[in-house]
Amino acid sequence: MFKLEAYSKLLVSTSVAAVVAFSVVGCMGDSTAPSGSDTSVSLDIDGGVSYPVVNNKTSDYYVNPQAIGAKINNGRVPNAAELAKWDTDLQPATELSPEGHGIPEGSGSVEDGEELYEAQCVMCHGDFGSGGGGYPALSKGNAYDLQKTLTNNRWKDPEADGPTREFGSYWPQATTMWWYIRDGMPHPFSDSLSVDETYALTAYILNINEMFVDGVEVDDEYVLDRAKFLKIVMPNVDGFEPVISGANALPVVKAYFGKASNFGGRNLNQGATRCMSDCQEPTAKIKRIQNGGIKDFIPAMNMTRDLPKKEAVAIDVKKTYTESCAMCHSAFLSPGSGDWAGYTPKGMDKVYANGINGTEGGMPAKGGADLSDADFKTMVDYLISGKIK
Amino acid sequence: MDNKKSQDLNTIDRRDFFRKAAAVSATALAGTSLLANESAGEGDPAIMHHTKWGQKWGDPVTKNQYGIPSAYEHNVIRRSTKLLASGNFRASIAVTPIHESQGIITPNGLFFSRSHGGTAHVDPNEYRLMIHGLVEKPIVLTLAELKRYPSVTRTHFIECPANGGQEWRGPQFNSVQFAKGFMASAEWTGVYIKTILEDLGLKPTAQWMLAEGSDNSKMGRTIPVDKVLDDAMIVWGQNGEALRPEQGYPVRLLVPGWEGNLCVKWLRRLEFSQEPWYCKEETSKYTDLKPTGKAIQHFYANEVNSTVTSPSPELPWTDLKEGDVVEIEGLAWSGMGTIKAVDLSFDGGKNYVNANLKGLVLSKSWTRWSYMFTIPKNFQLNGKQLLLTSRAIDDAGYIQPTIDQEIGIMGVEAVYHRNAVETWEVTEEGKVNHVQIRSV
Repeated sequence: MFKLEAYSKLLVSTSVAAVVAFSVVGCMGDSTAPSGSDTSVSLDIDGGVSYPVVNNKTSDYYVNPQAIGAKINNGRVPNAAELAKWDTDLQPATELSPEGHGIPEGSGSVEDGEELYEAQCVMCHGDFGSGGGGYPALSKGNAYDLQKTLTNNRWKDPEADGPTREFGSYWPQATTMWWYIRDGMPHPFSDSLSVDETYALTAYILNINEMFVDGVEVDDEYVLDRAKFLKIVMPNVDGFEPVISGANALPVVKAYFGKASNFGGRNLNQGATRCMSDCQEPTAKIKRIQNGGIKDFIPAMNMTRDLPKKEAVAIDVKKTYTESCAMCHSAFLSPGSGDWAGYTPKGMDKVYANGINGTEGGMPAKGGADLSDADFKTMVDYLISGKIK
Repeated sequence: MDNKKSQDLNTIDRRDFFRKAAAVSATALAGTSLLANESAGEGDPAIMHHTKWGQKWGDPVTKNQYGIPSAYEHNVIRRSTKLLASGNFRASIAVTPIHESQGIITPNGLFFSRSHGGTAHVDPNEYRLMIHGLVEKPIVLTLAELKRYPSVTRTHFIECPANGGQEWRGPQFNSVQFAKGFMASAEWTGVYIKTILEDLGLKPTAQWMLAEGSDNSKMGRTIPVDKVLDDAMIVWGQNGEALRPEQGYPVRLLVPGWEGNLCVKWLRRLEFSQEPWYCKEETSKYTDLKPTGKAIQHFYANEVNSTVTSPSPELPWTDLKEGDVVEIEGLAWSGMGTIKAVDLSFDGGKNYVNANLKGLVLSKSWTRWSYMFTIPKNFQLNGKQLLLTSRAIDDAGYIQPTIDQEIGIMGVEAVYHRNAVETWEVTEEGKVNHVQIRSV
């Protein structure tokens, strides 16, 4: 294996907030990277680099130094009513914020929640939140049991069960559910449920996930209110990394993303190599698409350059009648008139044929109109019945 | 001669011409004095006959006062699939035909489109942006007031972190549009949020910013202030014009390099807080479940990545033969920095050579790369079909992992942020199929 140590050493050090100027020249002995470029970089919270302004440039872009730090003072201060109207988000109770944020007074029962669910939610989310039709499930059963499936990984056994990531088994906070129901649901008419209705629907979803609040089962008689809501502990509350709560959250997050192996990354500054030969694992082999794969593309893949096919447009019966038929047929054999009884007994094929070819009695072929046979027949049907199909 | 007749004639002549041309080129291969590419006697009807457009009036300039592509380009479009059709295609995605992309800019009409409650149509006169929370002075801005801030223009890709996320357990899409097209790139114009914060004064306890949309799902995400004070932007311009409705008209957030989902569209509110939020799309979804049972929450940057766009399943080599010289071309991108190098393998990632970067190389942007290649017999090297694999490296030091390396840490249930190398297999006929090189 070939190690590109020289390249690695040229890269920015991992020390936090280090600002290092470096240039990559003659990488790999030939210039695959842009050579001679001086770039100022520093490590950002995501583990990547940021480009501070140096000599009026950030990365390759010039900046106007007059715009940095300028006070513009546009706009106005919102009033209390405006803030209250839009500031509808919820945050959970934490050590720093024991009451959370935005969790309103109110209450709702499982019973009322079920009724609301049946009226406004079941058509998409399915019976008892089972999901379906591409819409998310809200429960797959007991939240505490299903939380244990999160270590399931269909890595080596494709037939094994995967993890169950529904509200009860996966979501870390109940505030997410309450907030999303209130502001985002139901999609065709969101922001329409009251605070009490939102508590009721949340109670119902806790119920179908077979959850407990403060040691009490959320059974069919349960009534959820703000005080109880604050005590909800989701089964998977500790299932996430890095820890994002607390006064020191950002350095914690930065340290997490500063280590490539935490998120499956490979970094030349952290022991990875730019292998150029004999690089694949010896056990690796070709895995092809199974059973044709997914190919229901909408629309189907098509690489041709041609004119789009004209889609059949339904004929405008009234307009065509006015433009091409009415001058004669308003007086004779008019739409829906009894006069047609003298012609139709010979069969519709004969009627259509006479119309399409014209008659000695004075009917021009297709009435002189530029119509397909099918469209002309539609016009004949209208003239006989007086009705537009 | 009227148009109908000339078209019919064209069809006949052209068929005849190609038959003769084929015969001639066969003769040429047999060693006659004719140049290999010399045409048959009567000539190519595309040259020999008058074209419809060459003799008649064209359209007046008053037609199409907002221009549209040629009618012949009608297949160059965003596409979707039932797999990702949630909410009757309202909580859904339509992906970009990156095999048809030129350079590093995606036309606005082809920019991939993802929404969580459908495309909202916002009246710009009623547009308001509210910024509040842990700031000294909360603020409400109209669109005109927002645009009065000093603007910056930056070229960045936006990538859905689920790009390639359907293929953790094996390849599924025989298509580069679907395997890698959950992304697009544009030149964005807007204002750095840090510029507005000069007016507002960020309180020292502020750690997080909530960004919320005004659409019916009130799409929200949490962003750390480090990024807000670095390069996060509020944008209204895309490739020199207003954002399209599908991109959040009139205003969206742009968080360069980070999950597309963080670039909240139809943006109406920013709130600063000491504690984070737990929005629906950063808890229930957009979290990476690892084999340990722990999931990464608030996952940010799209890691270094690349793909071969030509050839690809959509752009095969079926018209090429041994000895033809062809440009292999692709895209590389990293949300964590600037592309430094791209390597290309012909044996599925066993051995690599250096490819060449091409055009502008910008931070957190699509970067073009290229390699000139001579087609081998039967598209084989050392008796094996070509397996084209690209691998990119960025200036933060990140290099794309092998599939085994990535799933060794992340397992196969993570859904998001898959950036292992990907492979096209070229068949004996020059067709191109999506494969993966992996141990499980």
